Amino acid sequence: MTAGRAVTGLAVRQVRWGAAIVAVLAAGMSLLVAATYAETVGSGSGAASLASLAGNPAIRTLFGPPVALDDPGGFAVWRTGTFLAVLLGAWGLLAVTRTTRGAEEAGRWDLLLAGRITLAGAVGRHVAVVAAAMVAAGAAITAALLAAGTDPAGAILHGAGLALLGVFFAGTAGLTAQIFPTRAAGTGAALGVLGASLLLRMVADGMTVLSWLRWFSPFGLVELSRPYEDDRLVPLLVLAVSATAAVVAVPTAARRRDLHGGWLPPGTGRAPRTVLLGSVTGFAVRRMLRPLLGWSAGIGAYFLLIGLTVKSLTGFLTDNPQFADLAGQAGFAGVQTVEGCVATLFALLAIPIGGFAAARIAAASADEEARRPASLYGGPVTRSRFLAGEAAAAAGGAVVLAAVAGLATWSGVTMTGAGLGLTAALAGAVNVLPVVALGLGAAILALGLFPRAVAAVGAIPTVGGFLLLVVTERVSLPGTLLGLSPFTHLAPVPATTPNWAGAIGMSAVAAGLGLIGAAAYRRRDLRA
Amino acid sequence: MSTTAVRTEHLSKRYRRLLALDDLDLRVVPGEVFGFLGPNGAGKSTTIRLLLGLARPTTGHAWIFDIPATDVEVAHRRLAYVPADVAWWPRLTGAEILTLLERTGPGTDAGYRAELVERFDLDPAKPAGTYSSGNRQKVALVAAFATRAPLLVLDEPTSGLDPLMEREFRRAVLEARERGQAVLLCSHRLDEVEAVCDRVGILRAGRLVEVATVAGLRRLHRSEVEAVFPGAVPDLAGVPGVGDVVAGGGGRVRFVLSGPPAAALRALAAAEVTAVSVREPSLEEIFLDYYGGTGR
Repeated sequence: MTAGRAVTGLAVRQVRWGAAIVAVLAAGMSLLVAATYAETVGSGSGAASLASLAGNPAIRTLFGPPVALDDPGGFAVWRTGTFLAVLLGAWGLLAVTRTTRGAEEAGRWDLLLAGRITLAGAVGRHVAVVAAAMVAAGAAITAALLAAGTDPAGAILHGAGLALLGVFFAGTAGLTAQIFPTRAAGTGAALGVLGASLLLRMVADGMTVLSWLRWFSPFGLVELSRPYEDDRLVPLLVLAVSATAAVVAVPTAARRRDLHGGWLPPGTGRAPRTVLLGSVTGFAVRRMLRPLLGWSAGIGAYFLLIGLTVKSLTGFLTDNPQFADLAGQAGFAGVQTVEGCVATLFALLAIPIGGFAAARIAAASADEEARRPASLYGGPVTRSRFLAGEAAAAAGGAVVLAAVAGLATWSGVTMTGAGLGLTAALAGAVNVLPVVALGLGAAILALGLFPRAVAAVGAIPTVGGFLLLVVTERVSLPGTLLGLSPFTHLAPVPATTPNWAGAIGMSAVAAGLGLIGAAAYRRRDLRA
Repeated sequence: MSTTAVRTEHLSKRYRRLLALDDLDLRVVPGEVFGFLGPNGAGKSTTIRLLLGLARPTTGHAWIFDIPATDVEVAHRRLAYVPADVAWWPRLTGAEILTLLERTGPGTDAGYRAELVERFDLDPAKPAGTYSSGNRQKVALVAAFATRAPLLVLDEPTSGLDPLMEREFRRAVLEARERGQAVLLCSHRLDEVEAVCDRVGILRAGRLVEVATVAGLRRLHRSEVEAVFPGAVPDLAGVPGVGDVVAGGGGRVRFVLSGPPAAALRALAAAEVTAVSVREPSLEEIFLDYYGGTGR
């Protein structure tokens, strides 16, 4: 059937580069961590004392239960597993909604479906291609762990688990993209499922009585397989059945709806809501509110959970000073105090908030490409004001998210009876904003110079900077290279005072990136 | 009136190797409906993008009421724009889009807007995601006409409209002209251009090949003449301006006339012509004359 094969080819063309980058990144991280195990952890007392980590509920909540840390493979699973699972799941679901509902919403499928392919066939093939990319990424992880000389059974199990998790979220996104009539809603719903699954895993790991909840989360099932220790197959079989069911259900779900429609009938009309329609800045804020609500819920829940674990975590580190020393060597001093621990955990906050800010600029770029603001361009509004509106909304949203994270952490810490001032919690959260500003600046730079790559370029300072930090932790890189990571310039607030020089420097670089991007945006041709 | 609504001088736009617009000199005056014609890819939309400051000219300049087109903040207080292929944010209702455009635009006559919503039969309570392409276009048209801006820039504004709405559109354009507004109308609907435009500019491969009134264009072009004679049909070959002579039965002759008709009429009169009918070419025939068989 050549028509079907042509559509499969179309799907492959749209995801091949992203899939290749994800596979290389996943394999590279696994290989790096497993291969440098001997130097970083060592075989003697280091590995033995690492095992005591497993007893701490806070460690289990944050990073998953450490299993087989005396094995290079097991250590790589613990150190990179959650990160890679989120990476694969998030990339897979974004790729599915982009190539299915996104293409349909942009009107590209009207012509495609006038041919011999059906809607169900087109959706099914696009989801299958992303699922295949996940299997390839899992195989790459397995190959990397085998290359590092780890136990084959564990390597295969870990690669298979991550691949199945990716397939599960590709299928989930395929389903949400059938239920909801827009790409944004489909993506949001699928991301919600991913976030909820992750939180479920964290809660199940943190509280022994709820540990059965792991069976209901793809993250939990991957964890239950315990590669390099027990190599349990049953949890992965459960995940395989769920993932297959999700993917197989996609064409069926697509048959229940019309092209451009969802499962719910479209609204037939409502009274106008004219709030925040008075200016381009107001309108930028209005378009941001819905995503901001979703991100606030996710970040709030995550940091509430983190706050709840802090007391237990600091107690553990006080009892096991060798870990506090290890953390100190990695640049996180004073983690046995509540402030120090919270400060270390807040550094992660720059990644989701930076992602949010870059996503807002990427949304503005997508609007431009879809020609939605064409009539606004005909109005007496300069491009500088358009851009200033978008940037101000994104920056305001970032501040709100930081405040939500600070408040949630404070609530969690306070509930467990550990002492942390609200001001200290907020200061720690706000402290990461200069890194977020770098992400926003990079996104604006891309809007001016490479408007198709806004999200990717915007992620470089935050995700790229974090990866650089993780890599330098493993292999000794020159200090100048480490200095490139924005995270190097963050002081552990509220344990210490902010690194004002770093904050000012990063803000200045962010402003410079933004100004160059704004100048380019003013000068270039609009795509409408 | 000395001010021009639209003025360009040596306006050119090059996209890498493609010269999309080549040395355009254009003038549209207030109270005039100017039709902008040309095949796909001739440079019409490029011209509009340059006039609106959405793209930068490679060379040359454009002015809106003597304000540089690049000075968007000032120039766009005097114009309203209807883009081709209208797209909106799917969650916003028609009423919310009209509010947004009113508050960010050059000002709106609310009474006229209400009248236009009525006349264009628009349901403003529906979210834009449920609108057909014609309804999306109606939102943009209502918003643009309701501004009463001195210049309306309309890019293929009726491609999705039904004949009833098309008639309302023509009425609204003529009302705008009566109020002294200038209209720049890009369209492929030649009957529409013929019905509402005072002057027409024809663009071909980035160059403006003709600017004339619709009547003037006709004069430049060939008319079809049929004449009936009581006796023998005279030999018209060799008469200046006459070509493609086809003799029918019963003293009938058909020929194509181009240029001044005096010589041909003298020849007909000399042969005691009993009936003459002259059919002027439609704009479509003129258009095809310009482009027929020559590619772009």
